[in-house]
Amino acid sequence: MVALAEGSNDAEPERNAEERPDFFASLKLLLRYGDGTRHLLVVAALLATLAVVLELVPVWMVWRLVVALIDGTTGPGLFVSHALISLVAVVAGTALMGIAMGMSHVAAFRLIHALRIALARHLARLPMGWFAGRRSGRAKKLIVDEPERLEALVAHGLPEGISGLATWIAVTIWLFVVDWRMAIASIILTPLAFALMVIAMGRSSSLIGQYQKLSERLNGAVVEYLAGMAVVKIFNRTGESLSETVRAVRDYTDIETRMARQFVPLGALFYTLVVANITIILPAGMGMMAMGWIDLPTLAFFVILGANYSQPLLKLFNLFHNMAHISMASTLIDSVLETPEQPDTGARTPLKNRDIVFENVRFGYADHDVLHGIGFTARDGELTALVGPSGSGKSTVAGLIPRLHDVGAGRITMGGVDIREIGLEQLMGDIAFVFQDTFLFTGTIAENIRFGKAQADEEELHAAARAARAHDFITALPEGYETRLREGGASLSGGERQRIAIARAILKDAPIIVLDEATAFADPDSEAAIQEALNELSRGRMLIVVAHRLHTIMNADRIVVLDEGRVAETGKHETLIAEGGLYARLWADYTAAQAISLRDREQEPAQ
Amino acid sequence: MSIAASRDEATHEDRSDIESLRRAWHLAEPLKGRVARGVAYRFAQSMMLGLSFGVVIWVVIGLAEGEALTGIWIAQAFGLMALSLAGQLMFGYLSVRNSWLSSYEVAGHLRLRILEKLRHLPLGFHQARHRGDTVTVLTSDMQMLESFFSDGLPRIAQALGLPAAIFIVLLTRDWAVALATAASIAVALPVFVGTSRRLSKLGLSRQDKQAEAGARMIEFVQGLPVIRAFNRMAQGQDDFRRAIDDFRDISIQMVLQLTLPMALFGMIVMLGAPLVIWVTGLRTEAQLMEQGAAITGLILLFSMYGPLLALLGVMETVRMADASLVRMDRILSSPDQPEPADLKPQGHAVRFDAVNFSYDPAKPVLRDVSFEVPERSMTAIVGPSGSGKSTVLSLISRFWDANEGRITIGGADVTRIGEAGLSDLVTVVFQQVYLFAGSIRENIAMGKPGASEAEIEEAARAAQAHDFITRLPNGYDTEVGEGGAALSGGERQRVAIARAILKDAPVVLMDEATAAIDPTNERAIQTALARLVEGRTLIVVAHKLSTIQAADQILVLDDGHIVERGRHEELLSGKGLYARLWSHRARAAGWKLG
Repeated sequence: MVALAEGSNDAEPERNAEERPDFFASLKLLLRYGDGTRHLLVVAALLATLAVVLELVPVWMVWRLVVALIDGTTGPGLFVSHALISLVAVVAGTALMGIAMGMSHVAAFRLIHALRIALARHLARLPMGWFAGRRSGRAKKLIVDEPERLEALVAHGLPEGISGLATWIAVTIWLFVVDWRMAIASIILTPLAFALMVIAMGRSSSLIGQYQKLSERLNGAVVEYLAGMAVVKIFNRTGESLSETVRAVRDYTDIETRMARQFVPLGALFYTLVVANITIILPAGMGMMAMGWIDLPTLAFFVILGANYSQPLLKLFNLFHNMAHISMASTLIDSVLETPEQPDTGARTPLKNRDIVFENVRFGYADHDVLHGIGFTARDGELTALVGPSGSGKSTVAGLIPRLHDVGAGRITMGGVDIREIGLEQLMGDIAFVFQDTFLFTGTIAENIRFGKAQADEEELHAAARAARAHDFITALPEGYETRLREGGASLSGGERQRIAIARAILKDAPIIVLDEATAFADPDSEAAIQEALNELSRGRMLIVVAHRLHTIMNADRIVVLDEGRVAETGKHETLIAEGGLYARLWADYTAAQAISLRDREQEPAQ
Repeated sequence: MSIAASRDEATHEDRSDIESLRRAWHLAEPLKGRVARGVAYRFAQSMMLGLSFGVVIWVVIGLAEGEALTGIWIAQAFGLMALSLAGQLMFGYLSVRNSWLSSYEVAGHLRLRILEKLRHLPLGFHQARHRGDTVTVLTSDMQMLESFFSDGLPRIAQALGLPAAIFIVLLTRDWAVALATAASIAVALPVFVGTSRRLSKLGLSRQDKQAEAGARMIEFVQGLPVIRAFNRMAQGQDDFRRAIDDFRDISIQMVLQLTLPMALFGMIVMLGAPLVIWVTGLRTEAQLMEQGAAITGLILLFSMYGPLLALLGVMETVRMADASLVRMDRILSSPDQPEPADLKPQGHAVRFDAVNFSYDPAKPVLRDVSFEVPERSMTAIVGPSGSGKSTVLSLISRFWDANEGRITIGGADVTRIGEAGLSDLVTVVFQQVYLFAGSIRENIAMGKPGASEAEIEEAARAAQAHDFITRLPNGYDTEVGEGGAALSGGERQRVAIARAILKDAPVVLMDEATAAIDPTNERAIQTALARLVEGRTLIVVAHKLSTIQAADQILVLDDGHIVERGRHEELLSGKGLYARLWSHRARAAGWKLG
């Protein structure tokens, strides 16, 4: 079941290797989200333990027969009765174990289900910007892969672990009850072997820091090798770039080998001693028999039961080994669940208008500040443009309005009320945010457009699509509005997807439109249609636009020019040009860039 | 995306564990000997443990038959046990040593082999794949294989060694009991192989269904901002809930189908115990078997079955390693791109002769495309999206090879110029640029190994990059970070153009950027590009009106065909597709909001 999770690592190495796994994180999750699964697990563990006891019954039967054979007391029917009891025990034992495993799996999948629901609920209440910095691989990891890892712990670990532990304790007690001296001889190698293992693991762990580094380097080198493959080929530098990757592979193999060399001597001892109890049991037993401490049936008992003494412990050991990985997963899930939710008053606040005012707004991401005291006003019904060099913070400013993030300091008001006081539902109802990347859901085109207004009828739906210049290409599709879009809307061109997203926003009919570089078209061939669609969307509405193509916002009522997280200038196009500041410089660059052609036309064609 | 990929990989997975073992063994190529020794030593270790059991039988039966427990006997037994333990320790050490060290070496070799293979594949292979998948093959898949060779394979040998030794001991004592112990194994084995084959088939459909439900879950998380922005939380959560309900149900169903045969296998193996007891009883009562043989069979019973049941766990590892093997095979079995270099181009004109190309035979991308680009002239390719514009560039630079027809530079077929020859001739300017971790200087110098300081600076100046570079605290020695992350998008582009200018190839292929960039960078890049293409044979997938207008030849592609060709004015008066496209773009270029 875990197999599905593999093979999906992000191309970039994850940087959270330094986080220590919390070994109790998985149990914590089990306690908190395990309603309706705990009793299943208890029953599963009980059944598993019972199954293990039943597994010991044939061993007991065999021993009794051996004793009878030694004593010469075998009678007619003895073998048959013992065979029958063993048969029943084997069938019942394996059946019970099967049932226990089935139950624990059901419990595991229920727990995973509960966790996913909890994650989804929680994610929905995080600031939307939380998702911005995360690659899609991350979402898959969090919601699909990591919860899945818990299966190994809950479905296998708990019942097998508990039953393994129970067997181990039961057998140990049995051995000691029969004869404590022989018991010691039987189990002496086991603690010795495990002690050696601990030392062996400790020894090779001294290299673990280096190993982590080299493993990251290998990852990085492979990523770079692949990412740069085209460049390498075009510049015919294959040899050089390969050699760095080859070095990374060699060094990684070296450190693995070094760790192995440190581990091998003691590790080998462990693997040998842990199954070698019999080599001690027999000579010790013979000695004790010679001293008259024990008799032959007792020796036979220890030979039969003691030989496989370490098996359940080995199971536990393998289980513990996996715990580290599982705990990593649980720690990640736990940390997401503990991320504070975005506060939402849920209030419906009457607003006198929809002027949006930034008052000394500061904002930063975890590692750096982006906005250092932004102040401007976007008036209701007007077109406000945000422009500036790359990295000036335009998109961040736009994102703060629908609360993708919340401000660090200062405040943003709408109609005089702090937007954090307005309920999220009201705020979202007032603002249509057209994202830079179009996201469509799997489902039909109609469903995607209806996302803007669930109860829209056919007529409204078509009107919105028409306004978004999407109706014609939709009806040209064989299944029209009922065409199913695949994952991420991949079956349509970029321009078509963009127009469906605009239709969705038109249907929503919000009074404020925020366009985040929506004028940077993925598909230059449907540019004109997209522009018409945007015109329809913005007709009669308040508009806040982030733009690079300066001529598109020449008519803006107010242009806010940002530079390095501050407002450099504000004003209308003509005023700003006349002032000769940053905007004037940007404008000059912009017009120049449009005019420079790759090459001057040499001659008119000589017909 | 990776989910979709793993779905079609799944079609390979319909093979039994035995076949996966064979495939893994094949991959161990240069180290087969050591791997085999590791396995053999582990088997020997297990047999040495079997010797201990032999001693046990010898002693217990002797005692049961009433022999006196003498000091010599004890000493002999002790000596044999010491020998057995010493043998186990020695073979155990040799086994772990050989298995572990060779497993890392196998993985190391295989990594290098795959890296080497990757660069001989057409570039298109890499572009069609999710890069993460390839990285996975070289990292976590390889670790899976390592643990298979270091741990899984020897454990199989260990699981088989002791039962084999015991079986031999039993055969010498009583053939009927020996056969009885083997009977349950003989019945269980086909059950095991059969179910493992059936399970891998079942696994296919499960993977499909799980992948589908998984994709819907991911979509929910990715779409959350949209869901929130449209106030559609309730509906979004309903969809999500349905997806994870499905996921849970499929998983439970699958597991129940899986637990049953596994429990059945264990049951059949262990039913050997009552069978052996019964057979022993029959034979002793019929006086066909002596007491000693009976005791032997009974004592050894569980040491025979225990290790075999442990095989179940190993098979899990084999199945995991199998998925990794399938992914490796996909790379290793892709055909290389041949690189003969027996032709020398005369001049730098580019020519397409009746070229056909498709990624997927059902969907032709280019159909019967012919054109000629005279040396030092400029050709612009325009057309609706999906018409095959970028493919034309990909074929010249051999990201893919044409299915039919010929592409020549200076009269020489591009498939016969050789990698180095083609690289000297052609520069490609991508929409997305890639810089290598290293200094700016190293990145520019990549265009011409051994370039002098002055040449590098000159190229940077021509690429409008010198000024911003010298403003950086470390100037040309600034480290750009992985993928050039330390520079802004516009700066990266200019460094990449400097690299291309320094390379000085006579043919330039360019995919003109569509994404908007801030005006200052755009101006600098435009100026830099103009320098790069000066005096070269230029083929450009064009979006800018100024570029198209300046072209000596415009090729209008529609659905893989050249439908119109000529100069701007000629085409404009033609009132065809070009005229339509042009008017769209001209209108778009003048568009203003508000």
